[in-house]
Amino acid sequence: MKKTSVSNWFKSGEPWVWLNAGAVAISVIMVIGLLLLIAVRGLGHFWPADIIEARYELPGQPAYNLVAERVESVDVPTAQLREAGIDIPEGEAFMQRTLVKTGNRDIYGSDFRWVVDAFLSDVRKPEMLIAAERHEWGNLYGYIKEVKEAGVVIAETEDKTPTESALATWQAFEASIERATEIHDDIYQIEKHDIGAINHGLERLRLKQRRYELNNKLTPEALADLDAERAELDIEYKGLQQQLITLYGEINRDTVVFEAMDGTVLELNVAKVVRAYRPNAMNGFGKIGFYGDKLWEFLSAEPREANTEGGVFPAIFGTVMMVLLMTILVTPFGVVAAVYLREYASQGWFTRVIRIAVNNLAGVPSIVYGVFGLGFFIYFMGSSIDQAFFPEALPAPTFGTGGLMWASITLALLTVPVVIVATEEGLSRIPRNVREGSLALGATKAETLWRVVLPMASPAIMTGVILAVARAAGEVAPLMLVGVVKLAPSLPLDGNYPFIHLDQKFMHLGFHIYDVGFQSPNVEAARPLVYATALLLVIVIALLNFAAVTIRNHLREKYKSLEM
Amino acid sequence: MSETKTHSIDISAMQRDQQTLRIEDETKCLSVNNLHLYYGEKEALKGIDMIIPEKKVTAFIGPSGCGKSTLLRCFNRMNDLVDSCRITGEVNLNDQNIYAKGTDVAELRRRVGMVFQKPNPFPKSIYENVAYGLRIQGINKKRILDETVEWALRSAALWDEVKDRLHESALGMSGGQQQRLVIARTVAVKPEVLLLDEPASALDPISTLKIEELIHELKADFTIAIVTHNMQQAARVSDYTAFMYMGDLIEFGDTNTLFTNPAKQQTEDYITGRYG
Repeated sequence: MKKTSVSNWFKSGEPWVWLNAGAVAISVIMVIGLLLLIAVRGLGHFWPADIIEARYELPGQPAYNLVAERVESVDVPTAQLREAGIDIPEGEAFMQRTLVKTGNRDIYGSDFRWVVDAFLSDVRKPEMLIAAERHEWGNLYGYIKEVKEAGVVIAETEDKTPTESALATWQAFEASIERATEIHDDIYQIEKHDIGAINHGLERLRLKQRRYELNNKLTPEALADLDAERAELDIEYKGLQQQLITLYGEINRDTVVFEAMDGTVLELNVAKVVRAYRPNAMNGFGKIGFYGDKLWEFLSAEPREANTEGGVFPAIFGTVMMVLLMTILVTPFGVVAAVYLREYASQGWFTRVIRIAVNNLAGVPSIVYGVFGLGFFIYFMGSSIDQAFFPEALPAPTFGTGGLMWASITLALLTVPVVIVATEEGLSRIPRNVREGSLALGATKAETLWRVVLPMASPAIMTGVILAVARAAGEVAPLMLVGVVKLAPSLPLDGNYPFIHLDQKFMHLGFHIYDVGFQSPNVEAARPLVYATALLLVIVIALLNFAAVTIRNHLREKYKSLEM
Repeated sequence: MSETKTHSIDISAMQRDQQTLRIEDETKCLSVNNLHLYYGEKEALKGIDMIIPEKKVTAFIGPSGCGKSTLLRCFNRMNDLVDSCRITGEVNLNDQNIYAKGTDVAELRRRVGMVFQKPNPFPKSIYENVAYGLRIQGINKKRILDETVEWALRSAALWDEVKDRLHESALGMSGGQQQRLVIARTVAVKPEVLLLDEPASALDPISTLKIEELIHELKADFTIAIVTHNMQQAARVSDYTAFMYMGDLIEFGDTNTLFTNPAKQQTEDYITGRYG
């Protein structure tokens, strides 16, 4: 009796439904879990954590004062701690150990240390504890003592509680930072843009002169012209340099004196401070505002300190730019190839072989494309281009080295099979009677293709492009060979002629993750950034895809096929 | 399938044409000489000889697979698109063999327009559908396009229905409207011959009636050849009728005679419904 009911249950197909639903549920849970993990780990990094001050005394070792942010806690077996030389009494099997960020790398040698929670005592969160982000050496934690203006003390305090003098000193410090930041922005503007443009101009003049030399056209008049232009740029440069000297003089006016956790007193140039805050004194709104600032900095600023601080804007820009260029290259190429294969080539064994080859091309590991791009595009084509068009720059390569263009072309090659297959699929779905309708009106085959068939196939083409974008945006391995760098000095798009610098190396989010996470000297500081950058990469790819899907849906609506 | 909806054959056909037409009196537009067509090894047309008279409606009837659509598609070389298709013999349009070497096929198709079984408007606006043939010819002047589009839509008795939504998608129209749009599109390039390949077979009775009325009006300006499954329709709209069977032209004559007094036994069997 029972047996029949089980076999009936199988016959009803219900187990299959359960199996399928289970598989879908597991996939969805895994995807959501993955996103949650990187989101929590990545986004938590920007939250201003409280700073604790405590007495830390390991048995048998002298006690010291600890000022730090908590990062993470783990349970470790006491045996392990004992092996590490800590004298721990019997009893407990496990103890909690916490990673804390003490900052002040210039004093202690490293930002992080592990402490055993059981030996922390007298934990408190003093309001006057200050965290200062610096342009170099990471964060500084401590109490403010003095603010000096051109060597003269303008505010000072001995207190570590929010007394009037302490708060006044803090406010003087804040004002001083604000001033320094403004000057810093001016300096940045001059150094990066104005002087950058002059350097660019000088380089162009140098290349022009070299070109004249190579062509034997370097007449005294031409040389005089060049020298005149150069002199003009030199004068401009001198003016800017004068400005810079003044600004540097101003920015270095103020200094601030801190007392670190072990009582070390250090004097710091305010120009070196990016921002300072008192997390223990912040309320919820203050923290949210601070969080927003930090997040915006992450998205919009350039990286600092070997990519472990600051933002990832150049990497976002590089990724998007490369994907767009790749799309511009791959779409026409793939569509033209598909049109030939489907519409013009006679459908024999040869076409079939080509089609199989194209499909297999999609399965070639991406690093192989990287090697091909390096060997063929860069070393062969790039150096030929250099010989032919940029002889004046040699022996420095222009296109004979990795760059944005070669990376885009390599990825276009990597993704072209996807576009070909999708386009062919789309072309084969265009009803025969629509083509005949066009031909019957006296259109040639080419006109029919161009005016009717391709527009109707455009949603399918976009599907191919979407798949291509999804694949290309996440690709890192081939890029490492053809043009990605860990730190690019300037964006591939700027105000200097010819505006888009296809020969320039660029940064990429995928490579940035690898570099920050695994090539960084400061692993602990970099880890949250790995998650944040990974989340950002996912978001960028999702946005690119979303844009493409929107375009496709729009086209689909427009060319809603005749389903009759 | 449509036997139930139509009127009886003879009355409607009789009422329209009082005097009997004589093929000898007509100006010939298309003449077909010993036309053979092969799909691979299979012979689909087995030596057709006939003429299509100018500014008259010629209907092709016959059972499925008899070759009537194939013959129609020979008139504008639509069969060129079929890879395995091979043709011998001649089709002359105004005494010029359209299968002669060096014929400009696109130009031929401009002169011999075709309307297909299923409405096949392009996924463009109504206006652009009608203007398509003109744009192909390189005509892009707005004034000429506007005039021609209006004239063509009026010719296809569609103007009043669509004049307020010329720039909406043609795909939002009903099937009958779409088919008249396709006719307007074909008429817009001012061809000499209109080939209609079962133009009403996918339409409802009212739309069918409209198409038939339209054919009547278009006959004044165009030579029309129509393929139809529906004998009543052939009787109603055509001046001449050709009956085909298994790739042969069995009988060709004026419609009245063919339907009331067929010369061949096979024709009589078919129109009385004994086979087909």
